[in-house]
This record gives sequence, structure tokens and C-alpha cells, in this order.
Amino acid sequence: MSMSYAAGARPRSFLEKIGKLNWSIITLMSALAMIGVIMHFSVADGSWFGRPLEHGVRYAAVVVCMTLLATVDPRVWLALAYPLYAVSLLLLVAVELFGEVRMGAQRWLELGPLTLQPSEFMKIAIIMAVARYYHGLEPRLAGTLLWSIPPILLFAAPAGLLAAQPDLGAAILISSTAVALMFLAGLRWRFIIPAGIAAAAAGVFAYFFLLHEFQRNRIEVFLNPNSDPLGTGYHVSQSKIAIGSAGLFGKGYLQGSQSQGDFVPEKHTDFIFTMIVEEFGLIGGFVVLSLYMVLLALTMTVAMRARTLFGRLLAGGVAVNLGVYVLINTAMVMGLVPVVGEPLPLISHGGSAMLTVGACYAMVLSIDLHRESASTRGLLW
Amino acid sequence: MLNDKRDLHAVFNRRALLLGGAGAGAFGLVGARMLYLQAEDLATETYTDGAIENRFDQRIVTPPRGVIYDRFGVALAVTSPDYRVVLVPEQVGRANLEATVRKIGEILGLEEVSIERRLRDARQAKPSEDVIIRQALRWDQFSAINVRLPELPGVRAESRQIRRYPFDIAFAHPLGYVQKPAQRDVDAATKAGDDRRAVYYRNPDVRVGKSGMEVALEPELHGEAGWRMVEVNAAGRVINEVGGETKQPIPGGDVVLTLDAESQRIAMERMRGESASCVVMDIYTGDLIVMASSPGFDPNEFINGISFDRFKALNEDPYKPLFHKAVTGLYKPGSTFKIATGLAAIDAGMADNYTVNCPGYVWFGGRRFHCWKRGGHGPVGFHTAMKQSCNCFFFNAALLAGQQKVADTARLLGFQKRYDVGLPMDTVGAGIIPDEAWWKSMRKEPMPAGMTLNTGIGQGDVLTSPLQLALMTARVANGGMDVVPRLVRDSRDAKAPPKLNRLAISDAALKKVMDGIYGVCNEPGGTAMGAAGNLDLMVDPTGTEVREAANAPPGWKPVQLGGKTGTAQVRVITVGERAAGVKRNEDLPWGMRDHALFVCHGPVHKPRYACAVVVEHGGGGSRVAAPIARDVMRQVLLRDPSNKPGATRESLKAQTTEASLARAPA
Repeated sequence: MSMSYAAGARPRSFLEKIGKLNWSIITLMSALAMIGVIMHFSVADGSWFGRPLEHGVRYAAVVVCMTLLATVDPRVWLALAYPLYAVSLLLLVAVELFGEVRMGAQRWLELGPLTLQPSEFMKIAIIMAVARYYHGLEPRLAGTLLWSIPPILLFAAPAGLLAAQPDLGAAILISSTAVALMFLAGLRWRFIIPAGIAAAAAGVFAYFFLLHEFQRNRIEVFLNPNSDPLGTGYHVSQSKIAIGSAGLFGKGYLQGSQSQGDFVPEKHTDFIFTMIVEEFGLIGGFVVLSLYMVLLALTMTVAMRARTLFGRLLAGGVAVNLGVYVLINTAMVMGLVPVVGEPLPLISHGGSAMLTVGACYAMVLSIDLHRESASTRGLLW
Repeated sequence: MLNDKRDLHAVFNRRALLLGGAGAGAFGLVGARMLYLQAEDLATETYTDGAIENRFDQRIVTPPRGVIYDRFGVALAVTSPDYRVVLVPEQVGRANLEATVRKIGEILGLEEVSIERRLRDARQAKPSEDVIIRQALRWDQFSAINVRLPELPGVRAESRQIRRYPFDIAFAHPLGYVQKPAQRDVDAATKAGDDRRAVYYRNPDVRVGKSGMEVALEPELHGEAGWRMVEVNAAGRVINEVGGETKQPIPGGDVVLTLDAESQRIAMERMRGESASCVVMDIYTGDLIVMASSPGFDPNEFINGISFDRFKALNEDPYKPLFHKAVTGLYKPGSTFKIATGLAAIDAGMADNYTVNCPGYVWFGGRRFHCWKRGGHGPVGFHTAMKQSCNCFFFNAALLAGQQKVADTARLLGFQKRYDVGLPMDTVGAGIIPDEAWWKSMRKEPMPAGMTLNTGIGQGDVLTSPLQLALMTARVANGGMDVVPRLVRDSRDAKAPPKLNRLAISDAALKKVMDGIYGVCNEPGGTAMGAAGNLDLMVDPTGTEVREAANAPPGWKPVQLGGKTGTAQVRVITVGERAAGVKRNEDLPWGMRDHALFVCHGPVHKPRYACAVVVEHGGGGSRVAAPIARDVMRQVLLRDPSNKPGATRESLKAQTTEASLARAPA
């Protein structure tokens, strides 16, 4: 077992590693999390206790763990890719068999005092597994149809299980991330175009035959929101009212009549962007969107700077994942896409999602820190 | 790392940039959407309005319901203040709830049971909703609670408008009552797409008509709700009672009825203990002076919801107090129908000296048809037959006229028709006048000829309501004019009474019948001579002033009625029973006894009023119904409501204003 480093690279001390971390990314993440705390303060009617404090403390813990994990050699992530995927898949099967049904969907797994949401694990594992797959594949095979079947199976299995829960949002997220990774890994255009058409056909089929009543309702209400202003469309109508009535500078912090009057639902999770725009106006909305875009650009830069295909795909996958999250959430609260119930990363309240983002970025930071190392071969085998 | 053809790193970088570009485009789309929603709002204010609409909640202010007056302006249904104590559990606080309710109970002197019940209500209610602890407070209770309010946070003492029926049972049937809208009303409004109404109906203070005129005249009586705006959160809790926009409610329209409260009261009093109804009508205007059904019920019990047990008791009472007998009740008219048969026979060409020998029965079609007098009346002409109510004569008269002529005449007199007097039409009975066409519609065979005999004496399939019986009498007494009954004298939607037309009944026939029914009450042998022959009233020689006999100067003449008795069989008398002797009513259980009927008009010297009385299972018409009609008519003739100036909405409004001006401090 020998460690090989590229020319010029040398082992560094822990403190040195901390110093070399991509602090721009950490700063941006912290800024977004701070916005979360500020918004939760407003959700909580101007009280620090409960969610605002919880959100802050949780982020602080995540950021500490993240920086520590970032010093871990990426070869560890490479080695963990398949095992983690296998465990996540097993947990998804377990949730299907023993999971608890909450709010019409079976998403949680009770393990003693722990409540696990295996879909969150899978969101990380799928990126790692697909990246791992292409990393080990001979480059000339990467773009071929035959060798694209394994990654398709990799994401189709969990996506199918998630759709059955039913957690359509997670299924879409995992599938789209995996497909984006296949695209980044070099799948030939001549396969991409027919596949896109086939996917569209499958979507139509799924809409009519596979979706649950409430999922179909959401889509129907999305297509015609005024058909049911007080039912399924209520959330979106109220959210659109809040955003549309905000103006350039918003109604002022703690002053959003829609949000403070509880007309906007789920505002600490899915609809927090609505509250941001209502209270801080278009300016606030654009600032938040810009912060995400810069974070995504930085993540993509990490991907493009990495030497190993695993690192490139992993960081690229995280960027795609985060981007899809943010887009789905913000488009959803403005009635651009159906309500699928995905939170706004780092800002929405919720432990699992925060942990997922932390874990993803621990790996991104680790890849960035170790970008000089040319190979990941030889750590564990 | 490099393969022969593709540099995957280069591919990755190209595609990453492509993906980044697509992502940036998607973010641009989201940003554009945000701008678009703003721009849309600037153009149409959709979202600003939506936000304002959300933040402010309309609190409904119920309109005072229109007052219902009798013809002289006596209020029969009023809207008066009701004092009550309410609390909002959320404002009281869960911990203080029990102590607060107990304290209120102590101040008001409530029983332990009702304290417990209110406490349970308060615990089960939505925290932000008013819980009524006690309503219908006396003034001393109301002031006591007002004084102590500062130590009871979350508790309010308030007054609101509530429906009251000052005469209790006397007008229960014609007026009906109001209640909270039922879930069915809410659903109906929702189904009709009237969401505003559905919401309005859910307000706990809203009352709508549930029976009688209250429901038939609902649109007129209800008025239009007003509102005031309060700032609320999504749970509906009031954040701020802004003195902002308000709209005053528009009070409901008043209604002046044709009824005379005093006559109605006397009729109800006179029928006490019987299952009976009485209708008195002006024969020229159709004004219903009395429309009474006994026993009555107290509509005040229904306003805030009647208890299940109480309702069950009323509903299952064999005397049917909830039933509006005067218009809904349908009875065989019995011998009162001989008025119609007589008119039909005369107009069909019955000779003036037409005589029938009555041996006590008539053989027809192999069956015996019986007269009420076992030994028979002997030879009788029209006048005697009417006076003594001889069945045999009228069997023959009906045969002479024919079934169709009798039925046609009966319909001219107003039978088999529903009259819209301002009551819910589904409670107004139409009744049945059988003829060939009717029989065929019911059964697939020709009508047996014997039916004509039964119809002729108001038995068989004939069904009539007390209202129709009074109407028949009115149309005969007014000289054959097609008067129609009315109950509403003045209201927003009231129409002027239609011009009267002459019915196709000859003067000769009317005169002969009028003479006959005069004989019934005033000639020896008349069936109602004893019961209705002496009104104990006198009229001056010019026929204008009526006084009680004791106060009348000499030279005045007695006031008289003309009428017809009727006894309607409700059971089949078998041949065997007839042979053994028909059982007397007194020997039968109440539900098997005959209905007693009496119709009359008066005063004979100048007819103005018609009256019908039906006493269910009362026995003989002459013995039970006629005395009631006599007493009611005596009061009506003495009061003579038709010849006194009545009230209109205008005159009542002026009175109210005058009265309030008089009360105002100088």
C-alpha cells in the first residue's frame, strides 16, 4: 500500500489544511444559513427561541463537522461510495417495509430515538456512486449506451422506491442529478436526444397511471391554480399574493402581512423564500438567488479544477443537486412548477437537509483541498 | 487519463459550462417570474388586493328582522334586544377558564349543572370563538355582570337583536318561527354557488325563517347584512379591531297582516283543549281575520334551538300542535258540502218544488245510502232539506246535477286549489274534488255511480281544508264573487287585491242556498238553531252599529248568522253495526270519532264575514263546531275589523317616529 502524490504535492499538517480550505464557499454557506436564522426569527414572531436558535446552532455544528471532514482524503469518499449507496438503498427498502406514514407519505424510519429519512442519504450516495462508476470506467466506454445502463439502474432503483413512498420530489431530484452526472461524464449526444424524448413519454405515462391522487391534483392545480384556490392551490395562490404584493423593497422585516398572518403555509420550510421576498422585496429575493448562483459557480469551479474524474463528477453532482433544489423550491413558491415539497437548502428549517448539504460540501471542500493529488488509487487497495 | 479519441476532462469542462449556462438561464427565469408577479400586481393590483383581503376579515352585522304586525298595528313578531354574556377562551386563558365560568355563574346565580355545561362548551369551542355563557339575561343580571367585567378578562356582556313572538302560541302557525340556518341551508347555498350566503349562514347570530310566513316571506323580512372590517390572522383571530370600513345592515321590511290579534286570541282561547282550527275571512276583500289552529306551540322555544325531547313531545302529540290545520289539514267536508251540491242541482235545473221522500235511506246500485236520521225526514223540499241536513234529498240532488256539475260548482267555490296567502306553498293543502277525470287518473276503471251520492253529502273522496270551507262560504255570501283569501295586508311585495269577478252561479241558486242556511241557524228544526241561533248581539235599525244585547236600546234587531253544520265520518260503519245501532261518538275512542264542522257567514242583515270551524274527532258539527264558530263570530261582529281603519307600513312608521320623539328628552 503506497500513497502516490503528483509532483510538487506533499503531505500537509492539519492546520495547514484548514488554512487552505475554500473559505469563499464556507462564507457563502454561512451567509445563507444566517439569512435562514434571520427569517426564522421573523417566522417565530420575533423570538430567538425555538427555530431561529435551533437553526443557528445546527448550522454551527454542521459547519464544524464539515471543515473537519474536509481534511479527509477524497480517496476515503471514493472507497465509501458503493458501500454507502448499498446501505442507503437498504434503508429505502426498509422504509418501504417498516416506515412510518406521515402526512400521506412514508418517508421516515424510526430507529430507537433516531428518526431517519433515508432519502437524504440517498441524495448523497447517488452522486458518490455514479461518480465512482465513471471514475472506474475505461474512458472510451464512458459515452456508450451499453455502459450507461449500470448508472441508470443505480438511480432508477432508489427513484422507483422513492416514488412509491411517495416522495416525488426526492425521486425527481435523484434522477435529475444522476442524469446530469451521466451528461457530464460524457454520454454521447446521439443517445441523449432520444433518451430525452423517451423520458418525456414515460412522464406522461407516469402521470396517468402511476401517480397518486394528491400528486396528480398538485399537477392539475398547478396547470390551473384558480380551479381550487382554497384547496391544493391555496399554498401557491397565497404565496403568489405574498410575492406579488411585496414591491421592490418589501413590506419590511417582521412586517409581511401574508406571512405574519399565517396565510403563507409551511413558511419555515418549503415557503421560506416567499417570506424573504415579502419582507425584503425583489432586492431581497435577488440577493438570495445571487448568493446561491455564486455558491454554485464556486462549486463548479472546484469541479473543473479537480484532477480526478471522481472529484470532478462529485463536485459537479453536488452543484447540480444544490441548483436543482434551489430552482425547484423558488419556482414552486412562484407557481412555475408544481408543489413538490422540497426545502430551500441552508435556509429552510430542517436537520436532515442541513446535514445532507453539510456532508456534500465536506466532500466538495475535501476535493478542492486535495485537488493537487493526481490519483486516488492506492489508499485502500 | 487520455483515451485515443476523447479527452473526458475537456468534455466535462465543456458540458459543465453548458450545464452552468442552463442553470443560469433557469435562475434568470425564476428572477423574471419574480419581476413578472410584481409587474402583474402593478398593472392589476391582484396581489395587493389579495393581501388586503386576507389581512382584513369581514365581521357580519346581522340586520334587524322586519316586524310582523296585525291589521291594526299590534306587533306579532318583533326584534328586540337580548342581553347575554360571552367569553373568548383564548383571551381568558386555559388555566383561568374554570374559575372565570364559575365566577360568572356565581354573579348570575346559575345552577351547578349549567355551569358544568358551559364549562364543557368553553373547553370544546375553538379558542378564538365566542362562547355564549348565558343569554336572555334579566336587566339586573346584565348590570351585575357589567359591573364585574374588569375582573373578568376575556368576558363580554353584550346585547344583540333577537326574534320574539309576544303572543306565544296564538300566532305560531301562520307566523312560524326562525332558527339557525341548518347545514342543509348552508349546503344549498354552496351548491347554488352563493358562497357569501353559505358563509353568512354559518354565523351564529343569523336566524332564518323555518316555517310559516317567516320562511315564505324570508327575502322580505330578512334585510341585508352589514359588515365591519377587522384585522385578523389566518386562524381568524382578531389582531386589531380597526374602526375601518363598515356597512350598516339594511333592516328587513315590515309586514302588516290581515289578521286581527284580538279575534285570533279569542279563537285560540275558545278552541283550547281541542284539536281544531278556525278561519274567519272578509267575504269581499278575502282578508283573513282569524287563522287559528289548536293546540298551538310556543315559537319562542325554537329560536335558540329546541331540545330534542321537547320537540319529540310536540311532534308525537296526537293533537298535532305543530300542524297548521287551518291550511294544511284536509277533511271530508260532510254536510257543509251540501251548499255546493245544492247550488249545482239548482243550476242544473232542479224544479222549485222538487221534493224527495226520505225514509232514512236511499237504494242505489244495489246499496243502501243512509240518512243521518234513522227514521227519515219524510217528504222534504230544498229549504227543509238544507235546514235539517237531509242526506236523502242531497243524494237525489247530486244525481240530478250529475257528478261533473257538482265537481265544477265545487271548484267555482274554490275547492281543489292552493292559495298563495304568504305561507310556504308546500304546507297549503289543495284537497280533492272527485270527478270522472280524477277517478280515471287514480284508478283504471270507470267511476261507480254511487260515488255521486257520497260526493253529494261531502263524504267519499272529497277532501277540503278549513281555509277552503271559509272561502266557499264567503263566495256564496258575497253574491257569487271570486274572492281569494289573503293574509298580507301591506308589505314590500304585497299586491292589491284583484278586482272581483262574478262566478258562473245563478243569483236564484245563491238566494235559495242563502235562505236555506239562514234556516239552519234561525228556524225551528235547523241543525244549528240551538248552537248558533242566538248571538246575544243587537244591531241598530239602519244596520250599521252592533252592540251587545244588554247594552242595546229598544227597537234594535238581533244580529244573526247563516250557516251549515257538517259531521264527517272518519270510520266505515258496517252493515252489522248499522243493524245493531250506530255507536255514539262518546262511546268511541277519540281517534275514531267523527270530525265536527261548521261554516257560517254573518251578519245576515249585511254579510261581511265568513267562518269555518273544524274540530277533529269532535263529534257532531252542531254540538261541537257551531258553538265555537258562534262565539268567535260574535266577537268578530262586535269588533267589525273590516270597517275600522287598519294600519299600513307607512302609518306604523309614522307612529314609531312619533313615539320615539315623544320619549326623547326635551
